[in-house]
Amino acid sequence: MIKVINLGKVYQAGTQQVVALADVNLSIRPGEFVAVMGPSGSGKSTLMNLLGCLDTLTSGSYQLDGMEVSGMSDTEQAQVRNLKIGFVFQAFNLLPRMTAMRNVELPMIYAGIAPRERARRAVQALERVGLKERMSHRPSELSGGQIQRVSIARALVNNPAVILADEPTGNLDTRSGEEIMAIFQELNRGGATIVLVTHEREIGLHTARIVYFRDGRLVDDENVSAPLDARELLNANMPAGQSPGIIESGEECG
Amino acid sequence: MNLLESVRVALEGIMTSKLRSFLTTLGIVIGIAAVIAVVAIGQGGRAVLMSEMEKMVTNIFAIFVDWRSDKQVTGREFDLSDVAAIKDKVPEVTHLSPVNQIMSDIRGPKDQKLAQVIGVSSDYSYIRKFNMKEGHFFTEEDDAGERRVAVLDEELAVQVFGRASALANKITIANTPFLVVGVVAKGESALGFSENPRLYIPISTWQVMFNSQVQELEGSTSAKENVNEAMGQAVKLLERRHQTPGKYTSVSMEQEMQAANKITGIMTLVIGAIAGISLFVGGIGVMNIMLVSVTERTREIGIRMALGATRRDILVQFLIESIMLCLLGGIIGMALGAGGAYLIAKLAKWPPLVSWWTALLAFAFSGAIGVIFGLLPANKAARLNPIEALRRE
Repeated sequence: MIKVINLGKVYQAGTQQVVALADVNLSIRPGEFVAVMGPSGSGKSTLMNLLGCLDTLTSGSYQLDGMEVSGMSDTEQAQVRNLKIGFVFQAFNLLPRMTAMRNVELPMIYAGIAPRERARRAVQALERVGLKERMSHRPSELSGGQIQRVSIARALVNNPAVILADEPTGNLDTRSGEEIMAIFQELNRGGATIVLVTHEREIGLHTARIVYFRDGRLVDDENVSAPLDARELLNANMPAGQSPGIIESGEECG
Repeated sequence: MNLLESVRVALEGIMTSKLRSFLTTLGIVIGIAAVIAVVAIGQGGRAVLMSEMEKMVTNIFAIFVDWRSDKQVTGREFDLSDVAAIKDKVPEVTHLSPVNQIMSDIRGPKDQKLAQVIGVSSDYSYIRKFNMKEGHFFTEEDDAGERRVAVLDEELAVQVFGRASALANKITIANTPFLVVGVVAKGESALGFSENPRLYIPISTWQVMFNSQVQELEGSTSAKENVNEAMGQAVKLLERRHQTPGKYTSVSMEQEMQAANKITGIMTLVIGAIAGISLFVGGIGVMNIMLVSVTERTREIGIRMALGATRRDILVQFLIESIMLCLLGGIIGMALGAGGAYLIAKLAKWPPLVSWWTALLAFAFSGAIGVIFGLLPANKAARLNPIEALRRE
């Protein structure tokens, strides 16, 4: 699904060149659930931007779903983002003045899908994340966990080749984060390929494979023998009511 | 993304901040309203002016001494024999009269008044197409006999006679008694020019009383089409008879109408241009706010790009937003301008003239402003780097 060979990324910061990534080789098969971990500055965000076609690599090669992505034009990259990739951000990045439904519809609008089909698929996606009843709510009327579930629905809706989640639980309390992980695990069991960036090992242990980055290099590739099951944890350790209420910070969500 | 979706997305953008959108487009509203109102009022006013002038006698002309001429004015530029000569040699001239004017004291049974004493021939009532309220205009015989007869205008008759009938009664002009033979009905002057109170006496009598000059000539032709031609021939004849080329000048009602038409046209153009400038300023206002809006919505643009919007999609979104903003302003402005023009037309009793082409032009123009002043902000939005845009708070 994802094949990265000798990937390098160099930034020009004033007169200095900053090597953000060097000699990264990484292969992710369809249906894998991979966590990318590492301290800040390790290059994991740069990797996510490159995998998400938001940035262009300096050297090496990146194949997504059998297509060589490096060397694509802006418009082609936009199409890849639209059809092959679903983003889930730490800061949610929903458009604040639109309903959950309309937010989920956005990627389909850019894909040119007819309104009726769009509505059907948006409702379906919201149903999958358990928010069908909230589809006409705006982000400001939803909790942090619910907002992140809407953005997962948005990421799913064009049936992407891969879901890229950048610290999806970073702005959430433990219980909401666990719920998000439960949704990801369910999606993964349904066949979705997911790449998740996190700096919490606890979160990483929910996946089947963890790759570690340090100073722009891939330093370790670990298989998780017995991944944590988020649904089980929710049922066992955090029964509803004991969870530390929803943190409604003034966090930007769009 | 198709156009309909783009329009919907742009509408969402406009509707999210209604007050700001309205204030942004206010410049366009005012500009379009001003243009529409000015053009409508200008055209309405011109139509009224022209229809009033049409009502007046249009086949008349006047010949007088050109005051701009450097030649000495002798007071002998015209004489009574010129009148007969012109009527003889220029067949288009149907009536021609000498016209002499002087201010003098008029005394009637009720009051005394300073008025314009005008010496003319009997032709004058045909030239001016006088409507008689009482009696008749003096005749050729009155003129030939140097009779002391006078025709008053209605206003003067009321002033010096009060309610009593003026007809067949005596007045004095500069202490000389005259018999009133007629009263001219007040003419309609919709343009609002008020003339001095006046009375007409035979030119021969006038010359005996005051002096023997002839000040100017006034005449009419069979049709307004041949006025300018006849007038020119008359001037040439005068120059030949008096050996004074370049000393005379002439004017016809037709020429005055054209001049008035031109002046109102120029005025409409000038005010219209000022209104146009305000429209331009409005366009700059739209661009300014759109630039601010792009900066504010950088995050939104980043999100849209991450979800698959191409640079073209972003460009089109902001361009359509700007066009729609301007068209909205154009429509509101058109309604306001047409309403204002209608109101003013109603107050001034003019026909309200908002022509289709003005409305269409204003609509197209506001759309064009949207494109022109939207391009820069839209381009700025489309060129954002998605990563940086997403990082923006």
